[in-house]
Amino acid sequence: MANTSPVISVLTSTLTFSAPLVLAALGGLCSERSGVINIGLEGKMLGAACATGFVTQATGNAFLGMISGLMTAILLSFLHWLLTQTYRMDHIISGMGINLLAGGATALVAKTFSSLGSEKMNAFPVAAYWVMAWTAVFGVYWYLKNSRGGLRLNAVGQDPDKARQMGLKPVKVRFMALLWTGVFTGIAGALVVSNAGSFTDNMTAGRGYIALAALILGGWRPIPAFFACLFFGFLDGVQLQLQGQSLFGQTIPVEFWQALPYLVTILALAGLLGKGSKAPSGLGRA
Amino acid sequence: MSEIMVQMSGITMDFGAVRALENVSLSVKQGHIHALVGENGAGKTTLMRILYGAIQPTEGSVQIGGEEKHFRSQDEAIHAGVGMVSQHYSIIPELTQLDNLMVGAEPGWLIPRAAAKTRADELAQRMGFEFEWDALSEGIGPAQAQKLEILKLLWRDSQIMILDEPTAMLTPADSDLLYGKLRELANAGATVIVVTHRLPEVMEYCDEVTVLRSGQLIGSKVVSETNSAELAEMIVGHAIEFQKPDKFDAGEVVLSVSGLSVKGDRGDEAVKSASFELRAGEFVGLAGVDGNGQRELFLNLMGLQPTLGGGITLDEVDITRHSTSERLLNGMRLIPEDRHEEAVIEDWSIEENGILGLQRSGSVKSGMAINGSAKAAIAERITTLFPTKFDHVHQRFGALSGGNQQKVVNARAFEGNPRVILAFQPTRGIDIKVSELVFQKLRAFARSGGAVVMVNFDVDDLIEHCDRILVINHGEVFEPRPEESHDRAAIGRLMVGAQ
Repeated sequence: MANTSPVISVLTSTLTFSAPLVLAALGGLCSERSGVINIGLEGKMLGAACATGFVTQATGNAFLGMISGLMTAILLSFLHWLLTQTYRMDHIISGMGINLLAGGATALVAKTFSSLGSEKMNAFPVAAYWVMAWTAVFGVYWYLKNSRGGLRLNAVGQDPDKARQMGLKPVKVRFMALLWTGVFTGIAGALVVSNAGSFTDNMTAGRGYIALAALILGGWRPIPAFFACLFFGFLDGVQLQLQGQSLFGQTIPVEFWQALPYLVTILALAGLLGKGSKAPSGLGRA
Repeated sequence: MSEIMVQMSGITMDFGAVRALENVSLSVKQGHIHALVGENGAGKTTLMRILYGAIQPTEGSVQIGGEEKHFRSQDEAIHAGVGMVSQHYSIIPELTQLDNLMVGAEPGWLIPRAAAKTRADELAQRMGFEFEWDALSEGIGPAQAQKLEILKLLWRDSQIMILDEPTAMLTPADSDLLYGKLRELANAGATVIVVTHRLPEVMEYCDEVTVLRSGQLIGSKVVSETNSAELAEMIVGHAIEFQKPDKFDAGEVVLSVSGLSVKGDRGDEAVKSASFELRAGEFVGLAGVDGNGQRELFLNLMGLQPTLGGGITLDEVDITRHSTSERLLNGMRLIPEDRHEEAVIEDWSIEENGILGLQRSGSVKSGMAINGSAKAAIAERITTLFPTKFDHVHQRFGALSGGNQQKVVNARAFEGNPRVILAFQPTRGIDIKVSELVFQKLRAFARSGGAVVMVNFDVDDLIEHCDRILVINHGEVFEPRPEESHDRAAIGRLMVGAQ
């Protein structure tokens, strides 16, 4: 990219960095709008990345790879459902547990199959994932607005007790919601590993948390969350461009850029940016 | 028109070791309004929750239209034409009014909003209601919420409509309107079951009545063949005596409010330059339609709602800028409007909730710890002041029935030498006998040198029990002329702003 202008390269990296965020944020949206707090996006992405990477390398089949990534994320998502809905475990603790589990298990897998890691990964083109991410944003937006499932998801997420009173079954609605969380985070993980070419330990590098921050910044709504993801992706792109360069005579440390998404989210949550975002009232409630 | 639509036979319900219902039967005819009455904890709501499929009976059978049914959940009951409006409305404020109407019974996988709105409008028109379908449901008042709940029943084509304490939150005029609509629906073939503790409503609007006491069936009567006295006796097991307020001399001013303006949650002026005084010995009523500033006034007096102007003195000390904990220490007490959200922590025990708000007061605080024996003594007193049904003081507060929760919350306000008790609907969900006791205790507290202000949406209760009645309308506080101080019509005019 020696000759591309900085503007073009920032834009390209914005798209590259934001696509997995968009997918993960949509995964988080499905879960949280149904009332299930999900800080386990990171773990699901990591699990999916690992499965996609190694299965693709082992079989040479991109499709099989992606399916195994999806299944991994979906299984982790169902684990979260089981722990929070059947066993009534605290949502944060379950989410943390899933992140730790995914972190440990993927490291173990990576170590065991390290010989595979050097093989060429025959993955789907990254642009296909981008299209999927953008389409999904509008799909989810449309579904929430116009479908029965969307209305029920929203009702259960706002007040599970009242929803139950109206004949809904929150546990069932949340099962479907978490299935979709698995699907979206699975694709996000597959994208991350396809981008890199092979799996490395902890390769999602906190993107699950950034996606959650974007979801919160976007007020748990698909379109604003999408823009929040673009914005965070843009920050990443700028950071890459400015790395090692001085700005106004000052060198800005990388950590500043990495901290910026969280800072913005905290300001937004404190109501200092926009009109403040309001969480679904039923978050974390049985 | 008078076939039996609902037949519940030999219903027994155990919750663990507690038997909530024992061999209860209920039969309700189609086209009738059937009242289910009884004290708190008598098992009325439990029986209705069984009919609505929310819980399954330990023993007994339910027949709807002659067909035996075993509902395992609410949605099965809804499919069989049973609908229930519970005491706490199931309207979700974050959804639009149309979405609230439809949720759980959407017309299809894809919601045809235009068609849905047309049908919603038709139903509303049939009942003479009006809704803003696309507006969010937050901030709709209790009367409007009740109307939406009724439309929800119609939307689901419910043939059997259960309403649990439907008038608890309504003004007398809205209650009349509600029963008028229920009668129309019954005449059109619906079967209506109303759970209530207000006997005048039963006598005026219902066809038949069934009385429960302590989980047992006492009897069913045709309303035209009985009277309030007989029903009251069936409910409590013996005749009730009502006490009239005694004469007394008001003492020095305890609480003085002058030109007080309070900021509402939406930034509006919820209370506008209110001025009034409470003297020692007085039991004062605050009449008004719900949502006219009662809530904000009480919260502000406790230091929980921002002041825009004016001042408050308690025993001649200016407390306008005092914190809530200082006010509590100085004897201000609030029986809050929302029991669940504002009065207690439901996951805590009865005992722990008993000292909530008193934790800094001399008798309860012991160094950095809580005095255990004082805590136990308070728990003992607050569960016996008003007869409360409970297992033990360490049980979870939320496990008490609604009426019993209210009794404990009321009783707690008398702890720690209060000077002023602000009581927001203290008899909500409490039966007549204990309500009478609540009024008596509040009055006795006042006569011993304190002062009480009570918000009650039942104007008759205020007229019957209070020494003086203030009226709040759009945040302005008025007092009727002395000669009309207990005149229902005069108070009613002030409530709606007609002079």
